[in-house]
Amino acid sequence: MVDITKLRDIAKEVISRDDVRQVIGYRPGTYGFRARPAFVLEPADADELIFSPACINNLATYIVIEEKLPVPRGQEPDSRKVAVMVKGCDSRAIIQQLEEKAYDRDHVLVLGIPCEGVVDMDKVNARFPNVDKGDIALEGDKFVISFNGTKEEVAKDELLADKCKRCRYPTPLVSDEMLGDEVERFADDDFSDVEVLEKKSRDEKWAYWEEKFSRCARCYACRNACPMCYCEDCVLTRLEPMWMRRSVDISENTAYHIARAYHLAGRCIQCGACEQACPMDIPLMDLNRKFYKDVRELFDYEPGTDAEQPPLLSTFSVDDREDFIL
Amino acid sequence: MAVKKLSKDKVGEALKELMKFRLVAPAKSDDVVIFKQISDPAEAYLDYGNSAVPPKKMVFPQTETLFRFVTGEPELKEKNVEEEGQTVIFGMRPCDARAMSIVDKLFDWDFDDPYYQKRRAMTTYVGMACTEPPSVNCFCTSVGGSPFSTEGLDVMLTDMGDYYAVQALNEKGEKLTETIASQLEDGGDEKKIEEMAAAAAGKIKRSIKTDGISEKIPTLWDSDVWKKVSASCLGCGTCTFLCPTCHCFDIQDEVEEMGEGRRCRMWDSCMFSEYTLHASGHNPRPSRKERTRNRVSHKYSYFPSKFDDIACVGCGRCINMCPVNIDILDILEQVVEA
Amino acid sequence: MAEATKTAEATKTDFEPNIVAFLCNWCSYAGADLAGTSRIQYPPNVRVIRVMCSGRVNPLFIMNALQQGADGVLISGCHPGDCHYMQGNYFARRRFNLMRNFLEYVGIEPERVRMSWVSASEGAKWKGVIEEVVEGIKSVGPMDSFKRRQLNW
Repeated sequence: MVDITKLRDIAKEVISRDDVRQVIGYRPGTYGFRARPAFVLEPADADELIFSPACINNLATYIVIEEKLPVPRGQEPDSRKVAVMVKGCDSRAIIQQLEEKAYDRDHVLVLGIPCEGVVDMDKVNARFPNVDKGDIALEGDKFVISFNGTKEEVAKDELLADKCKRCRYPTPLVSDEMLGDEVERFADDDFSDVEVLEKKSRDEKWAYWEEKFSRCARCYACRNACPMCYCEDCVLTRLEPMWMRRSVDISENTAYHIARAYHLAGRCIQCGACEQACPMDIPLMDLNRKFYKDVRELFDYEPGTDAEQPPLLSTFSVDDREDFIL
Repeated sequence: MAVKKLSKDKVGEALKELMKFRLVAPAKSDDVVIFKQISDPAEAYLDYGNSAVPPKKMVFPQTETLFRFVTGEPELKEKNVEEEGQTVIFGMRPCDARAMSIVDKLFDWDFDDPYYQKRRAMTTYVGMACTEPPSVNCFCTSVGGSPFSTEGLDVMLTDMGDYYAVQALNEKGEKLTETIASQLEDGGDEKKIEEMAAAAAGKIKRSIKTDGISEKIPTLWDSDVWKKVSASCLGCGTCTFLCPTCHCFDIQDEVEEMGEGRRCRMWDSCMFSEYTLHASGHNPRPSRKERTRNRVSHKYSYFPSKFDDIACVGCGRCINMCPVNIDILDILEQVVEA
Repeated sequence: MAEATKTAEATKTDFEPNIVAFLCNWCSYAGADLAGTSRIQYPPNVRVIRVMCSGRVNPLFIMNALQQGADGVLISGCHPGDCHYMQGNYFARRRFNLMRNFLEYVGIEPERVRMSWVSASEGAKWKGVIEEVVEGIKSVGPMDSFKRRQLNW
């Protein structure tokens, strides 16, 4: 587990450095069990930083979504580092961003948080509805939920996010400073969930996805929450050429989800930010995981594990499979 | 008009009778509740908190055709909203109904929007009072509403345990209750409803003082507070698309076949980077800071200064659904302090 | 009921599919041309779009063609090792492999999206490819799952 005092001390030390612009971490949320992103600009801000199983957001997104506004004449652009706290999965986003040369390694200062799993907020809210303020802590194999003076223990498995049940990299793969002791891998990924969907008949598959896609509101939360979706001019919303229309119907929604998932083929690092952001509960990870599985099986490639390897689709092997070609 | 009773085992029958209209009711899609047209009473899911997308989409659809055109033909084929027929929205929450009467002010302001207004007039609104607040983030009592508010509704239902109390609130509502008269019984208890209303209002946990906010916000144009509250914004459209009072739209032409197409309007969100993007490439709201400022200012300052009503009904959707826990009440608190 | 199934079956096999074919300029387009000049008869269901290389074909082309009313899409390029640009078809192969699997995953029949290697001298192979593609698409019927609906309103 991460020691909060140590975390705050390190954050204070880091933000006091001349070459660091901000530290991105977590702070308590405004209601229920939530935690929310914190942007530490001066040492005093660091006192509200926390880390708990409620810290579900992937902060690597903030490194890449910052607008690059024109700098007034006579001023230099702020080239100081961004320090960011990352869990195991989030660290893979940074590796993948580095692999794609989204920024230089010098641009970020990575504060690694060895993570024993975070909760699925939907599961928590279903189990403890209408709690206006509460806390979640992980103790051994139990989540301790405290609110309104009561304390309840729940088995870890019941509230753990699905992505954590398959997590193979709980300890960050890249870090400049580690905020806790290494966590040993406690889960493995057998893709049984993808296989269940793969085994459905074609009609069942379309019926399944048609229902999910048709309720999509096209709010673009899945795209914007994704640490890998940082194109300034996104294919999903560009007007010329207009790949998919802004109108919302099953055709455009399907096109949207195919294109979104395809653009993450060989890039998705399984952090689950898209699915967590979706207000309509569309199982977006099921789409991403199909690519993840295929990429691993067909090309023996795992995104976000090695910043030196070339991006999957900008390379090839002469021996790639071609039994589907006429 | 006296309060009637609709026994819960007769709701199905009543819904069946209402199906001679276009009947819209909350229904489940997996675990998400959405309003949609139903063709079977069993689809209706009335024991719900609140829908993910507010029922405004039935009157102001996310995508709607305005007219169709064919190259070479000088005549446009305009959309005839009347063809959609009389609609009944069944079981909507009082805040969402109040939102409709707020949005009305915009759509019959300087331009009478025929699509919206016709559809509005053809729709009967049957509300479902909140005996329990649907979420922890409900704050309707702070912005002029209440869990039993009847504003914008034609009929109000109140869950009394084994029956619904049915109150027709106006002529339109009375007409509707007449169509299901055979399912109704006399003897609803008005006093008990009032008691429940007071109790429900007391259960709302969150609040904000709105006095003076609409005057204060314009003075903060250059304030640092916006940078602070927008730092964690992802720039998605969740807060605006799921807001019952947000009403911004974009108009686009879509070509369907050679030389044939339609002009349609679709929801737009001020949180999108394309929202104010000029053809020149210049964007007067270049970052999330300006966009957040606009969203809050529009709801709590621009709209009230024009229409005397805060464009927020306190449903709490934007708080509940925000992926990064940006909280409008938290923003307003910081604005007051700034 | 039996009658209805029969008509459904009949429209399934009787219909003439629209197929969009993206052919590379250097091999497959020339191969199709050779089939024509050699007067080889093959089904007339393909609409050819000439691209400089199969590597030019963005997987979104496939999706967009299906949306716009194509019943199937064929991508054809040079045999591995023969690409005019040395590597284009290798990239195409990798991308297409993933796209085809994914479309199958969301319920789009893989018979609709095909890829082939046809060289400039393979006019006869082109005929065989087209026959197989047309037959495959006829077996799964018209594309209607996420085709842009011609909405009245």
